[in-house]
This record gives sequence, structure tokens and C-alpha cells, in this order.
Amino acid sequence: MSQVKLEHIYKRFGAVTAVGDFNMTVADGEFVSILGPSGCGKTTTLRMVAGFERATEGVISIGEKVVSDSTKNIFVPPEKRDIGMVFQSYAVWPHMTVAENVAYPLKIKNVPKDERNKRVSEVLAMVHLDEYGERYPSQLSGGQQQRVALARALVARPSLLLLDEPLSNLDAKLRESMRFEISTLQKKLGITVIYVTHDQAEAMTMSDRIVVMNGGIVQQIDKPYNVYTKPVNKMVADFIGLVNFLPAEAKGDQIFLKGTKHGFDNVAHIPDGEATLAVRPENIKMSKTEGKITGIMKHRFYLGDSVDYRVQVEEHIVRVIIKGIQYGTWSDGETVHLDFDKVMMFGNEKNNYIIT
Amino acid sequence: MDSKFIVIALSVLVLLYFIVFPMLVLIYDSFVTNGAIDFSNYRQVYSKDVNWRALTNTVRVSLLVMVISVIITFPLAWLIGRTDLPFRKKFRTILVASYMIPPYVGAIAWTQLLNPSVGYLNNLFKAMFGLTAAPFDIYTLGGMTWVLTLFYSPFAFITISRAMEKMDPTLEEAARIAGASPLRTLWDVTLPLMAPSILAGGLLVFIGAGSAFGIPAIVGMPGNIEVLTTRIVTFVYMGDEKGIRDATALAVSLMVIANGLLFFMSWVLGRKDYTTISGKSTRPNMVELGKWKGLATAIVGGYSFIAVILPLGSIILTSFMVSMSKGLELTNFGIDAWIPVITSEQYLESIWRSLGYAFITACIGTLLSLFVAYLSVKTNVTGRKLPDLLVMLGGSTPSIVIALALIITFSGNYGLNIYSTMWILIVSYLVKYMTMSVRTIAASLSQVHISLEEAALNSGASWLRCCKDIIMPLIAPSIVAGWFLIFMPSFYELTMSNLLYGADTKTIGVLLYELQTYADTQNASVLSVIILVIVLVGNLLLSKASKGNVAI
Repeated sequence: MSQVKLEHIYKRFGAVTAVGDFNMTVADGEFVSILGPSGCGKTTTLRMVAGFERATEGVISIGEKVVSDSTKNIFVPPEKRDIGMVFQSYAVWPHMTVAENVAYPLKIKNVPKDERNKRVSEVLAMVHLDEYGERYPSQLSGGQQQRVALARALVARPSLLLLDEPLSNLDAKLRESMRFEISTLQKKLGITVIYVTHDQAEAMTMSDRIVVMNGGIVQQIDKPYNVYTKPVNKMVADFIGLVNFLPAEAKGDQIFLKGTKHGFDNVAHIPDGEATLAVRPENIKMSKTEGKITGIMKHRFYLGDSVDYRVQVEEHIVRVIIKGIQYGTWSDGETVHLDFDKVMMFGNEKNNYIIT
Repeated sequence: MDSKFIVIALSVLVLLYFIVFPMLVLIYDSFVTNGAIDFSNYRQVYSKDVNWRALTNTVRVSLLVMVISVIITFPLAWLIGRTDLPFRKKFRTILVASYMIPPYVGAIAWTQLLNPSVGYLNNLFKAMFGLTAAPFDIYTLGGMTWVLTLFYSPFAFITISRAMEKMDPTLEEAARIAGASPLRTLWDVTLPLMAPSILAGGLLVFIGAGSAFGIPAIVGMPGNIEVLTTRIVTFVYMGDEKGIRDATALAVSLMVIANGLLFFMSWVLGRKDYTTISGKSTRPNMVELGKWKGLATAIVGGYSFIAVILPLGSIILTSFMVSMSKGLELTNFGIDAWIPVITSEQYLESIWRSLGYAFITACIGTLLSLFVAYLSVKTNVTGRKLPDLLVMLGGSTPSIVIALALIITFSGNYGLNIYSTMWILIVSYLVKYMTMSVRTIAASLSQVHISLEEAALNSGASWLRCCKDIIMPLIAPSIVAGWFLIFMPSFYELTMSNLLYGADTKTIGVLLYELQTYADTQNASVLSVIILVIVLVGNLLLSKASKGNVAI
């Protein structure tokens, strides 16, 4: 059993609340990402699970075992939590060979030498480093060092694997292939993973669920699809994917784009008054002849597989992305007609993002 | 571009003439006997038992001081840098502060505390345990090792704690999560990764202790314990040609030991394997001491007390005693000892003189440092690192060696004769202390991106104009810091001044040394307190100028 449970976790540094009322249960074998901008409290949360930070309030349990409880003064140090962890800076020990690095957790557990060697070569094979056991980390590339760190985290077969922005120091191509590899390994081993990142693509591709954090507060916990299509507030909509925010006005069962008579059904039941309409650039249809919203073509950016347009609607610039090569179809200054699909609605101010 | 070349060429020539040339003369002289170049001078010098013993004493004591320093400072640096030890910031300040106490002042303090006849601590122990004889005698090899350790171990402490701060803390966290306890982590990860810095810190202590003159002169010589530096001074004091020649052989021996070790040290630190310690400044994880907290605090507190507070207290106390023959009674305290000192023209003159020399040295030194640092960091002229290297060579050479080299070179044999003038003192201070300000200014200059300069040149400014309008304002704090880094040690310098001063150029360090040798303990204490106050004020100004980044 390796379910992880965080109940009413707070972390305060003096007067600053780094994490406020964090609640989540990570199921056995689940891959959960904590996603948010830098300074949002995601790393602090992970470090509390690891035992490098003490929660100011709340209870953390791993499996059946409570590892941190502020009221009962329980605190299990990191070395007794049976966790594997991969750090952003790899943290591969430069004075040990690759094999020594990976063998270290087993050495601490006094696993006999034969067994130790067997498991080290197994796990090195798993991360495709079979040939590198005798090398020193300084002789390896960044990507290879990252694999050593991963092997070291997995070798003792922990019930829980924590990853703290493990890919952010790698180049773009390597990052993409490592995403796939980590994901495959996790499925194969059935291990529970908590993964911290500020990169939405990493979170979207690998996770069963995503926790979006901002300012120390959890904004939304949901499947990647829902986080993208049904963001609970403007912060989440803005942080994941591209989005146009357009000022609007709610009036009864309709929401009107500011300055137009064009209304959308108020499915979100926003109360009368100021509101915001949000629409992703790829959910906008553009036509020369028909469309409910009229605008003027301002700029076009050719991206190869798609074209990124800027269309002026009243006083606002709307970003439209259309797949395929229609670049030459349009010219600057031309009048165009738009249709918005999958429109998201937010009441203003109050519902911008969740704060406590 | 022409102005640039002239400035650079001039500064290289000046450095060659004042740093390298005297050392070459010294080495040459040490090998010449009656016009022939051979080892006979060395053979003759080391055939005398007292010289050979000075050499072995130097090596033995320095080794001992090095080992003890590392054993003491590594745990201290770890406790202060990596654990939740209470008052750790205060302890750090106290331990680093001992670095700015002139070593000879420390030596004077410890002779007051542990001399066998009236040492305060000896008397205390006698009274406490009913002893008839004093338990400690400072005028021994052990006493000298003790004082050298207390005043040169800060080199190791500073080196080791800096490396500890720079080490990526996740390397330790990775060990914790792998199942290692804090102690096991310390043993398996921290210690091996710190090994090069520990070695470097240790070697700095070795070189410092081996080149020290003040402490061996004040603590060792009364007990007839000689080291290389004290032997060199004795030979020079003989004043004849033979004495000087004997001194050159000893000085070159010391130079080979010290500079050789420094070369070895930079080689060790430059090895690629050890460059993996990153400069990332993630918040280091603090080891919780738990039940050991009380004991650890007591140990660190005890050490800080013994190393810094006790000797300073002794000096201050002594300076305020009315009569040395009476004990520590309340009626025996007053400013009686202060009045003759602060009204004596001789004393005041020395203080002003030292301040003046230090001021001139700091001004010339900062200007030169600027050119050297600029050349090394900002240009791509061939040999741009050469002046920097020359300055470093000067700084790494033992003071006594520099002084001797300057005596034999600039007393008229090779054109320039500045012997017995203030200029020979100033040159010696420059040779020894410029390296610190070059380092500081170079570090700051390397932060100023070349494009800022190019933008000024692009706007039509000349190179000198660009220096004045763009570079100077940006590096001003480091220039002020560099100025103080030359000013302070020059102000209280003893080793070189003691060989180079003349009838009209006696500095405060020399005066204090004389008072101590004439056993005028009280005046020596008063003068020590005055030096300490000036050094303290200087340090406060320095840390203010550099916003806390630099301090002696």
C-alpha cells in the first residue's frame, strides 16, 4: 500500500504562508503532478512529503503510516520514510562511480553484496545505462546523470517516488523522450509518483491527475483533460494552454462581449455585472463571409504547421491559431468574421483565482 | 587604444621591478659564495644546529597547527553552517573576527594568560586546585603551537565554511532520502566532497603558521625556541654581510616551502573531478541537533570564548589595571596606564605614522589593483593574466622573505636606494597585500558585462572616459573594499616593518613589539587596545562599504 494522504497541510515561514490548507489523496500507483508558477509552494509541498520540511500544521501519511502530524508531534525523518526521490540538480555524488551511486541505498539497508550487484545492474539496464557502471558522473552527459539519479531512486523499490522538476535542466528534445521513459517506467513498476513541475506539457502528458497551485493555494485537482477544458478560474485557464480573456458583461441568461450585441448563453450562471469570457485560440473559427463576431486582421505569424493571427475585435486583440497553411488566404487590414467555440466564463475579481 | 597599452605596459614594468626582481636577487644571492654559484652557503648555514632546528621546528609546528586546526574547524564549520545550532550567526561572527586580530596582539594576550609566573589563568588554576606550581608554560613549543592554532585556524574555518555554503545541499538530501542518517550523510557525502577544501584550508594554515613571525617571536623566543622567521630576523639584526647571506639561505628555504605548497594547493583545487560542486544557492537543509543541542552549543561557545573573548578580555583588563603587582581587585582599576600612552609624543607619532603609511599604501595599491584587475578580466591582450599572477606571487610569499629581498635589492646595489625610508615600508606592504584588493576588484569587474563598455565606446567615449563614466561608478563599492583590504593589514603590519623601519619610520606594530620585549606589559596592552579599536572601526566601515560582502 502506498497511498499518500495530505490533510490540511500548512507551511509557514515566519509571517509568510508558503502552503495553505493543502488536501489531497494520491491513490496507490497513481501519477500526480503538482503544477504551478515558481514560488507557488509546489516544491515546498513535495519537500514536506519527503521530510525535508516540517509541516506547520496538518497530517501527512504514506501508506498506513503517519509520517508527520503537527498536533501529535510526530515527524519521521527522510531516511526512515522509504521514498525514492529525483532532484532538479540530479544530485549525483561526484566522488562515487555510477554503480556506487546507485548501490548506495542498498548499502545503507545492508543488502548483501551479490544481491546488491544484481539489483544495481537490473536497474541500470532499466534506464539504459548498463555499460556505464564504472564511470564517474563527470564523464556523463546531463541526461545520463539524470538517469543515474532515477536508477538510484528506484533501486530500493520504494513505494513512493518523488520527482522535483527532474527535466528542467535538460534540452528540449531530451526532455520529451525522458517524459515518455519516466511514464513507461512508472506504469511498469506500478509505483506511486508525485511529480513537481512548472512545465504544463510535462504535467499534461504524464499525469493521471494534475494539482494546479498558485500562491500556496490549490486551485484545482483534476484529470489533465478537465483542467484544460474546464478550468475552475482564470488563473488555471491562463496557466495551462493559451487563452484570450475578453471583458464582458453578464445580463440575465446572456453574457455579452463588451461593446458588441453578441451574447453567449450564461451557462456558468454568472451574476449580472462585469464578467470575463475566455476562449482558446484554437477554438476560434475564422471566415471571410460568415461569423457572429466581426473583426479586422492585424498581424499574421507563420509557424510552419499553423498560423498565429491577431484580429482586432472592438478594442481587443484576439489571438486565433489555425492549423494548416492558410497564411496567404488572408491579408492585413481585411475584415474577418469569427465564431467562438468552447467559451469559458468567469465572474470578475472574486473568481480570478482562489486565495485564502 | 594607445593609452590602454601604455598604462598596461607601465604597470607590468612596475610590478616586475618591485616584486619579481627583488626575489630573483634574493635567490641569486643565496647561491653565491665568493663569486661562485653553488650550495656551499646552504651547507654552511644548515650545518649549524640552531638553523637546522629552526627549519625542523617550522615544519613540525606548522604541521601540528594545520592538523589541529582542521580537526577543530571542520566540526565547527559544520555545526555553524549546517545545523540548527542556536546563536550560530553570532558564533560565526566571533570566529571570523579572530581573523582580524593582529596575531602578535593575540600572542601578547596569551603570555598574560599563561606565563608561568603571573599568568591570569595559571593563577586561577593554582587557586582552584591548590597547585603550588603553574600548570601551564606558554613559552614552550606546545604554547607556541596553541597560540598559532588559535590565530591561524580562521584561515581553515573561512575556507571550509565557504565551500560548505557553496555545496549543493541536494547532494546531502539525496543521501538522506536513500536512507542515511545525518551522521552517515556527513561521513559518506559531505566529508569526501569537502576534502579538497579541507586540504586547501589546512595548507593555508600551514603556510600562515610557517611564515608567522609575531607569535614565535613573542611566545617562542623567550623560551629559546627558534623557527625560520625568527632566525632570519636574528641574522639580519647582526647587520653584517655574513648575517644577511645566512638569512638569504633560510629565506629561500621558507619561500620554497610556502610557495611550493600554494602551487600544489591551486593544482588540487583546479582538478576537474572536484568542479562538480555547484554554486547553486538553494536553501541548505538544517540538521536538527535534537538532544545534542545543549552539548554542541557548549562546545562551540566554549571554543569561541577561549579563542576570542578570553585573550581580548585579558588585553583590555590589563590595560585598565592600576598596578600589575596587585590582583584583580576593583580598586586596582583605572585609566592610569592610558594617560602616559595617549599623551606620549612618541606613541602618538607612531600611530599617526602607521595610519599615514597605510593610507598612502592603500591609495597606490588600489589604483594599481584596478589596472591589474581590468587587464586580467576585461581585455584579451596576450599575457593579460601576467600582472595578476605577479601580484599573487607577491601575496603568497612569506612577509619575512619579501622584507629581506627588498633590503638587499633597494639599498643601493641596484640603483634605487630607499632603505630606511618610508617608501621601502610602503613597497613591502604593496607587495604583500595588493593581491586581496585585486581579487575583490576583479570579482566585481567580471560582473560588469563587456557590452556596457562597448556601448560607451559606441557612443563616442574614449577608453579613459568610458572608465570614468561607466566602469568606475559600477565597481565603486569593490574599490572602497579593496582600499580597506590593503589599509588594515598595512596599518598593523609587524613582520616586514620590523626589518625595514628606520630611525624616523617606526610604526605602531614595531613599537608594540618593542614594548612587549622590554616587558612593559601595561603599555603594550594599552597600545594593543588602541590597535584593536582602529581595526574594529575600519572593519565596520569596510563591511558598510561592501554591504557586508567583504570583511577582514
